[in-house]
Amino acid sequence: MVRYAIREKDAIPFLSKELCEKILSDLEQGKRPVLKATKCSLDNCIYSPTVGYLTPGSKKTLTELNVASVKKMARAIFMLEIILRNVKSGGVNTKRELYYVCKGLLKQNKDLKPLDFEDQVESDSVIDFICEILECYREELNCYANDRGGQTYSKQLVVVEKLTDGTEATIDLSQLGTSPFMPKNRPQNLVLKVKKKVEFCLVVESEGTANTLVANGFTHRTPSIVVGAQGVPSNAVRGWVKRIQDQLNIPIFFFGDLDAYTIQNIYRTLKAGSASSLIRNADFSAPDVKFLGVLPQDIQKYDLFAYDVRESDVVEKRSLKKARDALENDPFFHSRRNKGLVNILEWLIEKKQRCEQQAFFSVDAGNPRAFERIILEKIEAGSYV
Amino acid sequence: MTEKNKITSSSTAEYFAKNLQQVGFSSPMKAVLTTLKEALDNSLDACEEHKILPDIQIYVRRIGKGNLKNTDRILIGVEDNGPGLSVEHTPMVFGEYLASSKFGRGRCTRGQQGIGISAATTWAVQTSATGARVLTKQKGQRLALSCVVAIDYKKNKGLMQEKEMVAWEKPHGTRVEFVIDGRVQLNGEAGLLAYLRGNVLLNPHLSLTYELPDMEKVHIPRVSEEAPQIPDATPPHPHTMKLGEFISHARLFGSKKLMDWLCKEFSRMTPDVVEEIRKSVKLPAVILTKPVSALKDDQLQILYQAIQDAPLKPPSTQSVMAIGEDALSISIQRLGDIDYFSVVSRKPSICDFKPIQVEVAIARLSTKEGSAEEPVQVLRFANRVPLQFDKSSCAIVKAITSVLWRAYGLKQSKGSLPVGPYIMAVSVVSPFIKFKNASKETIDASDELVLEIRKALMKGGQELSKHLNRESKAKDLEAKKAHIEQFGPALVESLCRILAAPASRKKLAEEGIQKILGRDDRAAQRALDHAEEKLSEHMEKQKKRLVQFSEEDHQLELDESRKEEE
Repeated sequence: MVRYAIREKDAIPFLSKELCEKILSDLEQGKRPVLKATKCSLDNCIYSPTVGYLTPGSKKTLTELNVASVKKMARAIFMLEIILRNVKSGGVNTKRELYYVCKGLLKQNKDLKPLDFEDQVESDSVIDFICEILECYREELNCYANDRGGQTYSKQLVVVEKLTDGTEATIDLSQLGTSPFMPKNRPQNLVLKVKKKVEFCLVVESEGTANTLVANGFTHRTPSIVVGAQGVPSNAVRGWVKRIQDQLNIPIFFFGDLDAYTIQNIYRTLKAGSASSLIRNADFSAPDVKFLGVLPQDIQKYDLFAYDVRESDVVEKRSLKKARDALENDPFFHSRRNKGLVNILEWLIEKKQRCEQQAFFSVDAGNPRAFERIILEKIEAGSYV
Repeated sequence: MTEKNKITSSSTAEYFAKNLQQVGFSSPMKAVLTTLKEALDNSLDACEEHKILPDIQIYVRRIGKGNLKNTDRILIGVEDNGPGLSVEHTPMVFGEYLASSKFGRGRCTRGQQGIGISAATTWAVQTSATGARVLTKQKGQRLALSCVVAIDYKKNKGLMQEKEMVAWEKPHGTRVEFVIDGRVQLNGEAGLLAYLRGNVLLNPHLSLTYELPDMEKVHIPRVSEEAPQIPDATPPHPHTMKLGEFISHARLFGSKKLMDWLCKEFSRMTPDVVEEIRKSVKLPAVILTKPVSALKDDQLQILYQAIQDAPLKPPSTQSVMAIGEDALSISIQRLGDIDYFSVVSRKPSICDFKPIQVEVAIARLSTKEGSAEEPVQVLRFANRVPLQFDKSSCAIVKAITSVLWRAYGLKQSKGSLPVGPYIMAVSVVSPFIKFKNASKETIDASDELVLEIRKALMKGGQELSKHLNRESKAKDLEAKKAHIEQFGPALVESLCRILAAPASRKKLAEEGIQKILGRDDRAAQRALDHAEEKLSEHMEKQKKRLVQFSEEDHQLELDESRKEEE
């Protein structure tokens, strides 16, 4: 039942009923139902440069019905019933809301009271379990997370959104004034068009820096799309950048800090997805994105302010340790295609230095367009990985 | 040093009168406990020495306000059915320091040096200006001796006052009363009840009646009719002696031939071993036939050093006495409502070159409120005397905390005492226990001793785990049954609603799920059966031992009555 890219509208109800039918008929025959799911962890990741993102290996997790798992299964099927109702009606909920919906329904039925959740952690894990066994992502179950990041600015981009009632909405980003366009958690139903040729898309790690670029007139002067990532990219940002890559076929650059966390968590997730989302990386990664900076050579070239990694800072120290682990265990960094990124990680481990993206503002500090000039200069000179 | 700083000598009594804190009188609370302890230890030792089953009455009463700040005037009385004391010995026992019938004899008696009871008299004299009031009668005497014993500190002598001969209905025995300033603490590890409870556990042959403040009178009958046999001391092992001791020992046996002295007055020395030792230091063969007095100190020193280098057998373990698993099994049940228990009596062994025997009793009390998360109660004993102070540095506590009790089903944080409603009683018996201080409150934690105690505790833990294992399997089965009942129908219900399945399918699926989960249920039942089987085998063995023990008791009773009839 491996279906990584579910597109059909009725796929979730179909797969759910298929699953329930299998469990029920096993029970009728006195057989133990066994639920199979793809193992989503680093030890089950495969990275092929031709595919471009992390895909699952052959490892599966099996959940067999027994005394220990009967509670988990009963809760999952109960939650599935609520989710199917949402999918059918087009209703959506956050995980928190689903937690309370469940509690409300369980309160009304004495027989189901044992299924009640102590806290949201329990109900969240049940939703994740459903995603694993149906091999889908939770947005397909109409369970959305808060939208975060992805604020997009462009004078050329037009977005056509297919609404659930069948109608379409057209959003011309040049008409939004200073407001950005925000992609939703399921950007697959967006169609992108351009009014004029767009040269590139720039994804900036810091939302604030993206906003500064735009406020200073970057998108006026350069036909481009500027996206603010706001830290580790959310599903919305990942799906949105993937959409830009697939539909507009333009170069995409990522610009962020020079540190292990940015390379290994933020950039790797945007480019190739993550181990925990193996089954949805196909729709939520943009393999063509390039790392524009900050590069180690930029520090010398632009005489940037760099800082030593503080051994006393737990987060920074852990980040370096994770970088070492990534070089050892992450198949993404084992690929020769990503040798440039490996070199950066090795440089970071060796030098124990970090440089922030905003350090470029120290170059020609009085000139508000200096930063824009450097970005364009780097793109033109091919100074990226 | 000038003539102004004149050097004077003090008597032992004067020393202890100024340093009573060294022998357990460091606070009013400890004074009450130590006084009672010294009197009771003496009574028990006297009874055992004369093979009398002890029948002891204790009373502790508040009789007024104490002279010391924040104290009460306390009357402590201990009455036994022991052999009684002669007129000559009475002031020595209660009023003379280091007057003892047990000093240096190398036997497993409670008292050793003859300090404790004289210290109690000193405390009584110091705080309430009265000595020990004694009433004692020996077998065959018509009247009992009644007197007050005080102390002449300068001469370290007991002073007998108010002496008179009085009628006493007891055929023999001793009653001693002290009036002291003190404070009574009944509960807690340092309380009187813990002390009495410890004595009750380790002395199954003791019949005890006690009357404590704010409590009803309590009588605990004996559960064993057999008085413990205190093994005779064995000759000293030469490796346990220092050079000075060795030479002094030699001077006591002046006319004895060297060979005879070495072979008869020391353990583990045989003619072959002595010959080997002589050859190793190239002493002439004739020396062995000479009297010991003919040897000079330097010759004795050469001999001593050669003996120390010789690979002798370890000391004999015959001088240690044990309570025994059977007696402990019966005795532990006197401690309260007990669910189950395990007892372990290790074979005597050698620790730090001293014979020693360790016994352990672990009992789970029927759950008391709030005790589930509290550390276990530890009862420590040295030569059957409860130890109640300075717990943390004691070898027994170190051994308990070194065991991983979680492996046996008890809760425990690493390096701490386990928690739960358990009593862990550990008894160390040896003619030469290494105490950390003169008041004998804690046993020195040498690695060898801690290891020996640890082994006994681990065996006890293994036995206890059989009970705990059965309990956990029973809980497991119960939980599984409840789980199946709760979640099985809910799963089928949701599945049928999603699929809009007819009632017939629902019924079939419900039967199916019961069948599937019933297998798990049966597996849990089998695990429980297995645990129960193991436990009943263990209980059967234990019961057999107890029956055998009771039969022996019964036989003894028959023999006794037959003798009386004859």
